[in-house]
Amino acid sequence: MKQDAIVKGIFLRIGPMKESLRHQSTKWWVGFGAVIISAVVLLIGLISLAAVSNSGIGLQSVAISLAFAAVLLFVTTLAKRLDSGRWTERRPVLWFVPLGAIAMMDVVVSLGLLLAQEEWLRFTVEITFAGVILGIILLLYTEGYPLLRDRGSAGFITIAGLTLVFLILYMTAISDWIVPYAPFDINVGGILAAPSPRFPLGTTDLGQDLLSRVIAGGAIMLQVAAISVAVCFVIGIPVGLLASYKGGVLDRIVSLVMDSLFAFPGLVLAIALAAMLGAGVVNMALAIAVVYIPSYFRVVRSQVLTVRELPYVEAAIVLGATDREVLLRYILPNVLPSAVVVMSINFADAILTAAGLTFVGLGLGIDITDWGRDLTTGAQYLNVVHAWWVISFPGLMIIILALGFTLTGEGLSEILTPKLRE
Amino acid sequence: MTDLLKIEDLIVEYKTRRGAARGVDRISLKLQKNKTLGLAGESGCGKSTLGRAIINLVPHPGKILSGNIILNLDEDVPYEGGIISTGEVNIPYLGEKEMRALRGKEIAYIFQDPMTSLNPMVSIGSHYVETIQAHEPDVEKEEALERGSKMLESLGILAERIKDYPHQFSGGMRQRVMVGLGLVLKPTLLIADEPTTSLDVVVEAQILREMAELKEKFNLTMILITHNLGVLAQTADSIAVVYCGRVAELASTEALFEAPKHPYTQALLQSVPDVTKPDKKLTWIPGAPPDLTHLVPGCVYNPRCPHAMEICRSVQPPLIEVDDSSLVACHLYGG
Repeated sequence: MKQDAIVKGIFLRIGPMKESLRHQSTKWWVGFGAVIISAVVLLIGLISLAAVSNSGIGLQSVAISLAFAAVLLFVTTLAKRLDSGRWTERRPVLWFVPLGAIAMMDVVVSLGLLLAQEEWLRFTVEITFAGVILGIILLLYTEGYPLLRDRGSAGFITIAGLTLVFLILYMTAISDWIVPYAPFDINVGGILAAPSPRFPLGTTDLGQDLLSRVIAGGAIMLQVAAISVAVCFVIGIPVGLLASYKGGVLDRIVSLVMDSLFAFPGLVLAIALAAMLGAGVVNMALAIAVVYIPSYFRVVRSQVLTVRELPYVEAAIVLGATDREVLLRYILPNVLPSAVVVMSINFADAILTAAGLTFVGLGLGIDITDWGRDLTTGAQYLNVVHAWWVISFPGLMIIILALGFTLTGEGLSEILTPKLRE
Repeated sequence: MTDLLKIEDLIVEYKTRRGAARGVDRISLKLQKNKTLGLAGESGCGKSTLGRAIINLVPHPGKILSGNIILNLDEDVPYEGGIISTGEVNIPYLGEKEMRALRGKEIAYIFQDPMTSLNPMVSIGSHYVETIQAHEPDVEKEEALERGSKMLESLGILAERIKDYPHQFSGGMRQRVMVGLGLVLKPTLLIADEPTTSLDVVVEAQILREMAELKEKFNLTMILITHNLGVLAQTADSIAVVYCGRVAELASTEALFEAPKHPYTQALLQSVPDVTKPDKKLTWIPGAPPDLTHLVPGCVYNPRCPHAMEICRSVQPPLIEVDDSSLVACHLYGG
């Protein structure tokens, strides 16, 4: 359990500011800004390493995804303009134009780069995805910022969190094309070589380039987090809605099950489940999902119990609404904001739990590039040969990703429940 | 004149841990078409329970124990899986689906608190669309919105405000929106449960006047539940004074205000301040409304009644006709 304690100790304390969010000092803001700016600079720095990429087309990849993002931004602005004009009905068509154009462009470019058949398909998919993410970041600043600015500090915090998350997503999406070495190639440098100009972050115990592994290692964690959150969302919310709206025996039974799950320490339960299910992204995600479903259930349940007694629900019933209408149109929309907030915090937790699972040896095989895996091996060499870099850099990335999700969650909870401020 | 609504020997009971409490105890009432009936009484006397019983939505743990609530429909009402045909229907015996078809379509109910009676997450327009489509699924969204904005206009709210959300309206406007929502399906019976209690007096007067106008316009029959006798003086045709779930006095508005007969009605009227008589000493009714789970035998009002006699402590007085315009349940009359 010593390793578990390390994981918890390092990461879980960063869940920041629950109390302090509403009244920060200037000092707090300076610290916050410094952390965010250095994280963003670090991420952009990693991405800009594309110039020395292993694939040889790193710069082109970044450029194409940037171009895609720009087109996306342009189309959105255009669509917004046209919204006030007469073209409203034809607006959705506009979206297919840039998507098609980019897909074509990708194909042409990849053919120009003489990539093999399998390669160019992968290239097209990944670059398109990366372009969409970059486009979202741009939209966040152009469209989202004016909206969020009015919400004061909560808006800034949300933007900062989303920026971190999307930058890491972008980096992961494009990682295949910008890494200096293939992340799983062993013995590209010396074993456990210290950071040097050739290997800026050093190498691992297998002689792999740590920089490449840091750039590419987020994929597993993001997948695990996304799947587990999706499972939680799909199971936790409907079950919470139905059980607590109907009440009675069903509610008692479901609550009992959920509370028993809740009573277990999360990480221990996840470890037990992951050991039972075996290795694999989906299995890991399921193990984590089981741990977090009760928190959704509880939030939804408490909200439903409040909302269903409100006069407007009664008014709807009096005006002849059915149970289904009441649930979907009156209760669900009032419950969703809280669920979304739980979701973004749940993302951060899922990432930390995924790291914890890999750390205790329940992650994926050694051939997979994953921050959690590097953490595990790094911990072994930390005390013996003082190879601090192997554990530090992947750990830093996990912190940044979790920080991004936590900030998003904290900011959203302020924004979506405006009455907190009054 | 036909009776739109007949209530016969209705008993509504709340099963509580301390015993059964009768929120409505053998009430019989008749309501003619296009008339307004006021239900007056202290808090907790069962007037709201009676209103809820009419739409078959007595709050938990209450239950309609026995009695009839007969509504006279003048048109067929379709519901999921059938049609309720014209004529008399007995509400306590209707299924949930049939009841749902009647709520909103034939019987509208307006709540006390307009501030929380609208869903804060959707626009006023959606409220109208949902209400209309719940009963007339064939109606297009645009048509429903059109009907909604017309309704708002007739209530003195600009039609384009149908796009706005509840928090953008003041309390009085929200109550107007609620009234409009109740009336948009052209119901025959409107039950207003203290519709103006949480509003200030100026808005209260406006809304009451508008409701009176709408009543003419839509041929409405109204039940107005309130503890404010002043409101009833202006709007009601007849008033039922309810005490402990029983009707103490049922009289035309003029008769009730000019010559209240039941000692409870007299006491209620004396505890209303009167601006024209600043010297009048305000009185109150001594004691508190009794515990509904342990009612005293005989007349329920006897512990607080200044005229209580021996018979009042043992025999429950029946509601009897004292003159043309009043029915009173008191041993002082016709004993």
